[in-house]
Amino acid sequence: MHNAERWADRTTIHLPATAGAAVKLLGELGSEGRLLAGGTWLMRAPMTSGHYIALAGIAELRQIEIGQDRLRIGAGASHAELALALDGLDDLKGLADAAGGAANPAIRRRATVGGNLCTTAFAASDLASALLAAEAEVTLITPAGTLRQELAIYLDWRRTSAAQHHLLQHVEVSRRAGRRLCHARLPLRRAGDYPVAMVSLAAGSDRQGRLADVVVAVGAVESQARRWPALERTLTGQLPCRSAAITCAQANLCQFAGREGPEVPGWYRQQVLPELVARAVAQWAKAGGQE
Amino acid sequence: MNLKTPFPDPVFARRDAFDKLRGRTRYTVDEACQGHLQAYLLRADVASGEILRLDVSAARKMPGVRAVVTASDAPHRFGIGVADQRLFATGRVRYKGEPLAAIAADTLEQAKAAALAVDVVIRPLPAVFDMAGALASGAPLVHPDWATHEVLLETRGAGRGGNLAWESQVRRGDVDAAFSRPDVTIVESAFRVGRQIHMQLEPRAAIASYADGRLHLIASTQAPWTVKNVTARALGLSPARVRVTAPAVGGGFGAKYGCTIEPYAAALALACGKSVALVPSRAEEMLSCPCRENADILIRSAVTRDGRIAGREAVVLMDCGAYGGEQIYLTTMTAHTLGSSYRLEAVRLVSRAVYTNTAPNGAFRACNGVYNIFALESHTDEICQAIGMDPVEFRRRNVLGDGDLGSTGQVFQGDVLGPMLEKMSQMRSKGATLPSDDGRLYGRATTVGTWFVFVGPSAATVNLNPDGSATLVTAGVEIGQGTMMQSLPQIVAAELGLSPCDVVVHQADTDAAGFDVGVGGGRTTVSLGAAAVAACTEIRQKLLALAARLLQAPASELSLSQGRIDRVGHPGTGMTLASLAQEAMQITGPISGSGAFTRPGVAAMDGCAAGHFLEAVDIPVFAVHDCDVAVDPATGQVEVLRYRVVQDVGRALNPSAIHGQIQGGVVQGLGYALHEEVTLAEDGAFRQAGFGSYRIPLAQDVVPVEIELHEGAPSIGPWGAKGAGEVPILNVGAAIACAVSRAIGVRVQELPLTPPHVLALLQGRKPALQLHHPQDWPARPGTNPPHSTAAVSVAG
Amino acid sequence: MIGQLWINGEWCRHDADPAAPLHRVLRENLGLTGSKDVCGEGFCGACLVQLDGAPIAACLVPVALAEGAQIVTIEGLDQDPVAQSLMAAMEAEDAVQCGMCFPGMVMTLTHLLKTCPTTDREKVKRALAGNICRCTGYERIVSAACRAAKDLVAADAQKVVA
Ligand SMILES: Cc1cc2nc3c(=O)[nH]c(=O)nc-3n(C[C@H](O)[C@H](O)[C@H](O)COP(=O)(O)OP(=O)(O)OC[C@H]3O[C@@H](n4cnc5c(N)ncnc54)[C@H](O)[C@@H]3O)c2cc1C
Ligand code: FES
Ligand code: FES
Repeated sequence: MHNAERWADRTTIHLPATAGAAVKLLGELGSEGRLLAGGTWLMRAPMTSGHYIALAGIAELRQIEIGQDRLRIGAGASHAELALALDGLDDLKGLADAAGGAANPAIRRRATVGGNLCTTAFAASDLASALLAAEAEVTLITPAGTLRQELAIYLDWRRTSAAQHHLLQHVEVSRRAGRRLCHARLPLRRAGDYPVAMVSLAAGSDRQGRLADVVVAVGAVESQARRWPALERTLTGQLPCRSAAITCAQANLCQFAGREGPEVPGWYRQQVLPELVARAVAQWAKAGGQE
Repeated sequence: MNLKTPFPDPVFARRDAFDKLRGRTRYTVDEACQGHLQAYLLRADVASGEILRLDVSAARKMPGVRAVVTASDAPHRFGIGVADQRLFATGRVRYKGEPLAAIAADTLEQAKAAALAVDVVIRPLPAVFDMAGALASGAPLVHPDWATHEVLLETRGAGRGGNLAWESQVRRGDVDAAFSRPDVTIVESAFRVGRQIHMQLEPRAAIASYADGRLHLIASTQAPWTVKNVTARALGLSPARVRVTAPAVGGGFGAKYGCTIEPYAAALALACGKSVALVPSRAEEMLSCPCRENADILIRSAVTRDGRIAGREAVVLMDCGAYGGEQIYLTTMTAHTLGSSYRLEAVRLVSRAVYTNTAPNGAFRACNGVYNIFALESHTDEICQAIGMDPVEFRRRNVLGDGDLGSTGQVFQGDVLGPMLEKMSQMRSKGATLPSDDGRLYGRATTVGTWFVFVGPSAATVNLNPDGSATLVTAGVEIGQGTMMQSLPQIVAAELGLSPCDVVVHQADTDAAGFDVGVGGGRTTVSLGAAAVAACTEIRQKLLALAARLLQAPASELSLSQGRIDRVGHPGTGMTLASLAQEAMQITGPISGSGAFTRPGVAAMDGCAAGHFLEAVDIPVFAVHDCDVAVDPATGQVEVLRYRVVQDVGRALNPSAIHGQIQGGVVQGLGYALHEEVTLAEDGAFRQAGFGSYRIPLAQDVVPVEIELHEGAPSIGPWGAKGAGEVPILNVGAAIACAVSRAIGVRVQELPLTPPHVLALLQGRKPALQLHHPQDWPARPGTNPPHSTAAVSVAG
Repeated sequence: MIGQLWINGEWCRHDADPAAPLHRVLRENLGLTGSKDVCGEGFCGACLVQLDGAPIAACLVPVALAEGAQIVTIEGLDQDPVAQSLMAAMEAEDAVQCGMCFPGMVMTLTHLLKTCPTTDREKVKRALAGNICRCTGYERIVSAACRAAKDLVAADAQKVVA
């Protein structure tokens, strides 16, 4: 029959019910097998022959637990589910903005947190940047056992050969009183395209309302999101005002070399960082009522 | 026609909306996805090279493969001005992506697999990707055999040679004298624009079948007759053996104005006798899209202190890509876009189509006009700055008015732009002032533009049916613009005194309808409308004669309205059209009428234009656009705050439809001005390959356009109408560029004004654009272009 | 392999590869051509279908992952009163041009009207971040959504009174 030839069965999609079963399959299939979460990244090119281990049927991966001092996000939670769950949590507004501002509504309903963090070839992950600033930790399951890592370490590790065959189980963020997370992203249009640069900022404040204990992450500028330690140091102790933010960012701008791409030249990604830092700081001040 | 004649039903809703909303409308891509063989094109992966081997024998044996065709199956050359193209690269590859072979198989995957089995060896040759390079001496020739190409359209005094595909010139008055006057300021400007991709949602698509010795193409096309004729020519068939039908088209904007993919499906159907569908993927559609061409524009003017333009000269280079196509024809347009809008005492223009080793360009809404108006209006603002005159005041003084001469010496009729500028200032003065204290840079601009209706020949047949309804048969296509759904049935209805609901519009079919140039150039309402009016006139005469006999009244005392024919002033005394149509069966036979239209031809001044396909324009159309923008100095992002349009429509037959076209056209222009960018990789291919990297405006990027329709300008169109669908995009690049330039205080020389582009201007990162057109400045008509060994000069 | 999908209230069998994108199976195997194949990358929204009540980009869903879900395509939205109001408003605003984007627009906006009945232009525009229209310039589509929101609220109010 005509249609039978059209899509010759080349792929197998497995639907394990638990994370453990998924990892077991990963181990068995070796280089043949690949995890499939929301599919929004994998499906952009025709999926080639092979085995896909779908995570969609694993309920435990979808859970989002919000505790007093801890947030735990299952890797299978979608961007939309995360944004909804965080709605109204002032300290994590930056994470809600990252999840709720990425891509477009239909994609956010499918794209998972795990897929967003595990796609090594993707430089503009909103969640990677926001979660880096939140000093998140990830829990991985490998055929050899369970592993906990700082997200910053994981982002490097996932690109190494040691990283084959792992499943990101969940991401954890500790909530500390007085700290707020903010996320400033810059798509070229108002929305709908990959951001060309983003800055996430987490900080507490001292008694004078100055920034304390600052963590800054930058995404999309280079091939992978990373922290901006020099800026973290300079911003600490500053008043949360625009001019300070811009001065501090300018002074440390040389630490980033922008990635060239068809959408923008590398210098542009770097040059917009001070503005994004200023926006993140402004959000931070606003969330704390210090407008 | 008297403007006050009531035109019934100015609000007439589209009949296709209901099904389109519910996903029931079957576009060609929908017909294509079941029940046909699927075709795939094997494309060259180098921009320039010699084909050493192309062996398809292994591919023919691959599973599911039903036909493979190559250059030898379609050896005939075709083109628009010059026959420089074949269906497949023959001996030589001229751009990356040029088709080498076409394969039809049971499934698309099988066809693709077979393409991989074709044995191809291509020896790379030097390539040129930019126009300056192509025109430099010693540049590799894209068509070393250019001199043997047949010239298809005759003109007087065109230039051709080497990588210069076509050159047209305008010369009126003594420009050299103007530039050497002591009392003038000379202002010189250079501009560059990139390509624009249509990104219509339905890709080009065709389904070909072969039966009873004839080819039938179902095509997503704007020009069924062009598809018919070009397919026949490329395959060496008589056009009578090709039938083209066009279902609803999912957007065109010019991408479907030429004949580009249909002949491949046709060749495959001929080869295997089965029906074959060819639907390019989005990536293929983009890489082979007949884009709006990139262009380099050099313009200078000699202006007196009181702001008169004593002399103007310009050189426009238009990239045609590897084959001349539309661009050869479009060199003509520079005279009527860049050379228009303003009164010029002396003018000299050179417009050149240049071959490069890139994908062939094509037609796109307001072809040539969009960037020439950007250049002209930006140059105008630079003049105003140089002589210290208010830009609106300068325009008021200089825009073309009644009796003024266009660049080719055509006499313009009526004061149109002047009053439109006046309307625009009134519109502006009503607007609320915008807040401007948020750290952003604010700018505004008013620009003018001239476009025209590309009239051209059209045929229409109208049948008056026994039930009193009418059927309109034309080769016009509904591509979304609404003409076939709104203005044409409205026109027929108005002519015959029917309700537009009672006018059936036959879907385009070259077997049923007479010749038509195609949907483009803002011509559908005008040309098809005029042909329909002529057809209705014949019907009306027949009806009146018949009714006079039956009602015993002189025809001059009868009138047609509301589906009836009555004595004037005595409604209800006559009979319904339905009963009249039935009576006709016994007396004259069924009533029908046929009508035709072609451009009446407006005179240019003798000797002003050389190498032009159109020396004067029959129906000019004018537009005034105005916008306010805010620029974020930290990111270079431009926000359009307000956008206003005053558009010359002649007469608004369906104001709602025109407003819809203006909103859509302006937004497409905003894409061109601000977001849509095509850049070439080192191998000459586009770096943008999808909706992710080629960014078109989304809902959040647009504003509601404030619109005023200017009625009453002279037009030969039916009921005084002009085309309204093309012109809305015309001045958008200009208006945005001028407004941004004022906001940031830096000259804008290039589009699009993407955030990095604007930030580069603000930070002084962008060196001023220098254009070198060797030997051309000042442009001297008659000088031999590089490589020219012969100037084609055919008496027209 | 034979797959089974629950579409518009009935079971549909197909023999496509499990990784085939859902929109192509709908179009090529099941003849449901209302969802369009335009970008295949999640940017344009022309392929949207409802999966368990919310619109998703069918081009990015491997058909095997749609098994067991309730799928409603544009063809099946015809009976939905909110969609009907919206489509009537689209006609009243004369919003439709070439029409290719509209099945997706109706999908997105029907969902918006259900989840956020008191919508405004800004919200509508934000909801359309993944719906591309190349013809209309969007504003009439936005107006139609706002008009439908008003109509639906008015209809609800009438129901309450009655
Ligand atoms: C139109 C569009 C716009 C977008 N815009 C943005 C944007 O603005 N910002 C942004 O951040 N992103 C954006 N994205 C990217 C999007 O966020 C990612 O595609 C998505 O997060 C991937 O998640 P998924 O669940 O669909 O992953 P999949 O496509 O299923 O998988 C992606 C990769 O991750 C691996 N993987 C998935 N889950 C796990 C796991 N639990 N453990 C280990 N490996 C795993 C898979 O094996 C695969 O290699 C956009 C995408 C689209 C289509
Ligand atoms: S085709 Fe699915 S989003 Fe474009
Ligand atoms: S109406 Fe044509 S794409 Fe929206």
